[in-house]
Amino acid sequence: MKTAVRITINGEPYEATVENRLLLVDFIREVAQLTGTHVGCSVEGRCGVCTVILDGKAVKSCLLLAVQADGCNVLTIEGLAANGRLHPIQEAFWEKHGLQCGFCTPGQMMTLYDFLKSPKRSDEEIREAMAGVLCPCTGYVHIVEAVKAAIAKLDAMTPAERQALFPL
Amino acid sequence: MATASSTWVGKSIKRKEDLRLIRGEGQYLSDMVVPRMLYMGVVRSVHAHARIKSIDTSRARAMPGVVAVVTGEDFKNWKTILTDASIPNLPGETKRPLYRPLPAEKVYHVGEPVAAVVTRNKYQLEDAMELIDIDYEPIPAVIDAEEALKPGAPLLYPEWGDNLIYHQRITSGDADKAFAEADLIVKERFQCHRCGAQPMETRSCLAIYDAAQGLTLWLTTQRPHNIRDLLADYLEMPHDKVRVIQPRDMGSGYGTKAPFYREDIVACALAIKLRQPVKWVENRMESLMNIGQERDQIHYVEAALRKDGKILGIRDKIIANDGDGQVGIYAGFAMPHLGAMYFINGYDIDNIDIDLNCVVTNKAVLTPVRAFGSYASRFAIDRILDIAGRKLGVDQLEMRRRNAIHEFPHQTALGIYVDSGDLLGALDKAAAAMNCGSFRQEQARARDQGRYLGVGFSMGIEISGVPSAVLVELENTPGYGVATVRIDAQGKVQVAEGDSPHGQSHETTFAQAVASELGVTPDDVYVTYGDTFSTPFSTGTLGSRGASYTISAAVLAARALRPKICRIAAHLLKLPPEAAADSNFSFEDGQIIWNQDRSKRISLREAAHTAMLAPTKFPPGSDLNLEHTYHFEADAPGMHSCNVHAVKVEVFPDTGAFKILKYVAVNDCGVPINPMIVDGQIHGGIWMGLSNATSEEYVYDEQGQQLSTTLLDYQMLSSADMPSDIELIDHSVPSPHTPLGSKGKGEGVPGMVPAALANAIEDALSPFGITINKLPLKPEYIWRLIHAER
Repeated sequence: MKTAVRITINGEPYEATVENRLLLVDFIREVAQLTGTHVGCSVEGRCGVCTVILDGKAVKSCLLLAVQADGCNVLTIEGLAANGRLHPIQEAFWEKHGLQCGFCTPGQMMTLYDFLKSPKRSDEEIREAMAGVLCPCTGYVHIVEAVKAAIAKLDAMTPAERQALFPL
Repeated sequence: MATASSTWVGKSIKRKEDLRLIRGEGQYLSDMVVPRMLYMGVVRSVHAHARIKSIDTSRARAMPGVVAVVTGEDFKNWKTILTDASIPNLPGETKRPLYRPLPAEKVYHVGEPVAAVVTRNKYQLEDAMELIDIDYEPIPAVIDAEEALKPGAPLLYPEWGDNLIYHQRITSGDADKAFAEADLIVKERFQCHRCGAQPMETRSCLAIYDAAQGLTLWLTTQRPHNIRDLLADYLEMPHDKVRVIQPRDMGSGYGTKAPFYREDIVACALAIKLRQPVKWVENRMESLMNIGQERDQIHYVEAALRKDGKILGIRDKIIANDGDGQVGIYAGFAMPHLGAMYFINGYDIDNIDIDLNCVVTNKAVLTPVRAFGSYASRFAIDRILDIAGRKLGVDQLEMRRRNAIHEFPHQTALGIYVDSGDLLGALDKAAAAMNCGSFRQEQARARDQGRYLGVGFSMGIEISGVPSAVLVELENTPGYGVATVRIDAQGKVQVAEGDSPHGQSHETTFAQAVASELGVTPDDVYVTYGDTFSTPFSTGTLGSRGASYTISAAVLAARALRPKICRIAAHLLKLPPEAAADSNFSFEDGQIIWNQDRSKRISLREAAHTAMLAPTKFPPGSDLNLEHTYHFEADAPGMHSCNVHAVKVEVFPDTGAFKILKYVAVNDCGVPINPMIVDGQIHGGIWMGLSNATSEEYVYDEQGQQLSTTLLDYQMLSSADMPSDIELIDHSVPSPHTPLGSKGKGEGVPGMVPAALANAIEDALSPFGITINKLPLKPEYIWRLIHAER
C-alpha cells in the first residue's frame, strides 16, 4: 500500500508517494537525501542516533513511519546552521571535542536542541536528557561539557536571539 | 631531536574532522548510493549447531524484485577462508577450521550466514529473506568452554578429535622452584564474561565490479590494505584488479572492523556474478550476533609470594572460549594469545608457567575489541595482588610498589619490551588524588555509620603500536608506520597514510605534527587515507599505533623534505650553495627564513610553486621532488605507556548496588600531541571498561541461542549511568624511540577498569570477607557474595 505524503524538512517541502511501511528515517535519508541523520540500531529505538525534531519535539525517526509525519515539520542536523552560521550547539560540540567518529553526533545534537528549550540546567538533568543517545567513543564527558558550553552561549544571548535559534 | 619548531604539538586545537560531521556532511558507507546498486541481505542460522539438510530458495527467487539468491552450494568448491595468510602464525599447536563464505553442510553458531539474497530495493529484502526455507537437523551444541574440553563433548570439527583450536605452554624461569620457596600460595579462578563493543555504525560494504578496472570494495574496515591483499589472494584476482576503500568517515570500530569477514566476500562474489554494484548494510541484530564478542576467558591463577608481598612466581591455566573460530586474521585465538603474553603486564615477575587453551564452541567467534585479549587477564592479575595482599596484611599500594616494574627500559619475563614510563610515580599521583593518606580513617568513620566505602587500584602497561616482531606472527602483517608527505603546487601539505582513522582524529593530530615540522599551520595540512590505490601500504588503525608509529612516519617524511626545500629556497634567494643546509634555515609562519639574514626569506608556497611549475628556473638535474614516503620501524622491540587507575566506591550491602564516587586515571602517552583528543580517548576507554564490567554481556542459553540481540538486552551505559567525577592526570614519559616522544593512547584503556573497580568493591566490603572473581559486577552478584558469607 502506498500513500502520498508531504513532509517539510528544514523548511523545504518533500512530496512523495511512499510505501506505508517506509520509516521516517528512510524518508529523510532516501527520499529527501539528507544523510546526516543516521541509523544505528535495528529499529529498536535504543541507540538514538536517528533523533530529529518533529513539530518541536525530539523523536527517534526509526520509530515513526513516514505516513505518520505527513504534514509535519522536521528539523535535522542539516538544518541547524542557519544562514551559514553554526548553531551554538554545533559550536559547543566542536569546541569541547564532543564527538569522535561522529556517527551518533546528529542524534546527540538534536536531542540537545530539544533539551535546551527547557529551563533544566543541572548536571543530573543534562545526563538524563542525553541518556537516549548512545556514544561508545566519548564516555559522554565531553558531551556533557558541550551541553554546558551550549547553555552558556545561549544564556549570554537576548531572548530574541535565542528564539531565532529554535525555529521548531 | 631535530630543532623543528614544536608550535602546534601539545595544543588542544579544535578538530579538522568536525566541521563536516557537526553539519551532517559526513560521508559514511551507509550513505553511499551508486547507479544500478542492488541490496544484499543475509539469512542466518537459527541453530547453534546443525546440519543443513536442504535449502529451498524457490519461493524467494519467484518474488518480484529478487535478483539473486546464493547459498553454500554456490561456494562448495571454493577454498577455505582461513589460509596461511589469514590465520595467526603463532608458535603453539594450531588447528584450522575449514569454512567458506557460506556453509554447505553445517552451521556452528546462531547468526552464522547461511544464504544471501539480492534485491532491487532494501524493503523487498526483508520480504525475500522470509521466503528462504532452510531445513536443519540440529545436533548437540557445546557452549561452555570447560564442557567443550571434557571427553565426550560434542565436537565442532570431528576431524580434530577435540575442541582445542590453539594450545601453548608459555614459561619463563623456574615456577616450581618459586612455589617451593613461597611463604604463601594463593589460588583463584577468575572468569570474565563475553562482552566487548558495538560500533554505532554497523559493518557495511559496497562491491562494484567491471571487467576493465576489476573489483572495488568500499568497506567499513580498520585495515583496507590487509583486506585488499587477502581478498585478491582469496578470489585469485590480480592485485591491480582489487581495490579496497574505507570511506572518509566511519562510525568507529574499536577493533571489531579489523578482521577479514565472510559477508564482504559474498558481496564481492555477487557483484562479480551480477555485474552490478551490491551493497550490504548489517543490522544491529546481526552485529550483536556476530561481532564485538571478546574477553570470554577463565583463568586458574596460582601465585607464590614472599611474605613482604613480592610475587616469586605465577601459574595460570587459561581457558578461552573462542566460539567457532571462523574469522579471518584472528581465528578467535589471536586475542587470548596476546592476553596471555601480557598476563603479568606491568609487574616484574620472573617465574611463570602459563597453559593457554583456546577452545572452540558453538558461540560466535571472538573478534578483537580494544584492550585486545587482555581485559580478562588484567582483571586476574590485578585481583590476585589484592587477594594475596589481604592475606599477607600488605596494603594495595605496597603490593603494587613491591611488584611493579621499577626501571625502564624493561623486558618482561614473557618477552615484552617496555621502553619507557613511570609506574611508581603514576601510582603516587593516583594515591594522592584519592587522598589515600586519610582514606582509612574516612572508611572507618563511614563504617561506624553503616556505610561501606572502598578504594581500588589497577596498574599496567598499554601497547603503543605493535612492533613487526610481534605482529607478523600474530596477524601476518607488519607493525611499521608509513606516511607520504608531499608539498603541493600551492604550498599546502598533503599527508597520505595507509591507516584508516575513524574517530582517532588523525586529520588533526597529523596536521599538528607535520605543520610543526614545516612551519605552517594545521590548516595548511590535509590528510588523506582509506584508498588502497592512492595510499602507501600500512597495517591499519589499531593497537594505538597512530600516535606512535604512523605519526612518526609522517614527521620523519616531513623532516626528509626540509633539506630539499632549503636547497630550493637557497637557489631562489640566490644564496651560495653551501648555505643550503637545513640547519641554516628556520621554517616559520609559512616562510623559509635564512638564519644568517632573516630578511632573506621565501614563502613555502612560492618555493613549491616555482619548483613544481617553473623547473626551468633551477639548474638541470636539480632534485625538485617535494614528496617523501617514510617507513618508520622503531629502533626498539616495543613501545608502551604506563598507567594507573583508581576507583572509590560506596557499596550498599542490602542490595549489592554500588556507586562510583570518584574515578582517577593517571596516564602516559609520551608527549600528548593534542591533550583534548588524548583525554577523549581515555574517557572513551574508561566508559568501555565500565560498561563492559558492569552492564554489557552477550548472553547465550544452554542451546546456544543468543539472548542479547538488541541494544535493549546488550545494555551499554548511557550518560546517566556514568560517574560524574572522573579525573584524568597526565604522567607522560616520552618514548626515546619516536621523533616526538609520542606514544599511543586509547586501545588498552578499558583493560585497566575491571580490576580497579572490583578491588574497590571488595575493599569496601572487607568486613564481609568476600572474594570477587567474576565479571560482570552486577548488584545481584555482589549481593549473592555477601549473603553466601552470611
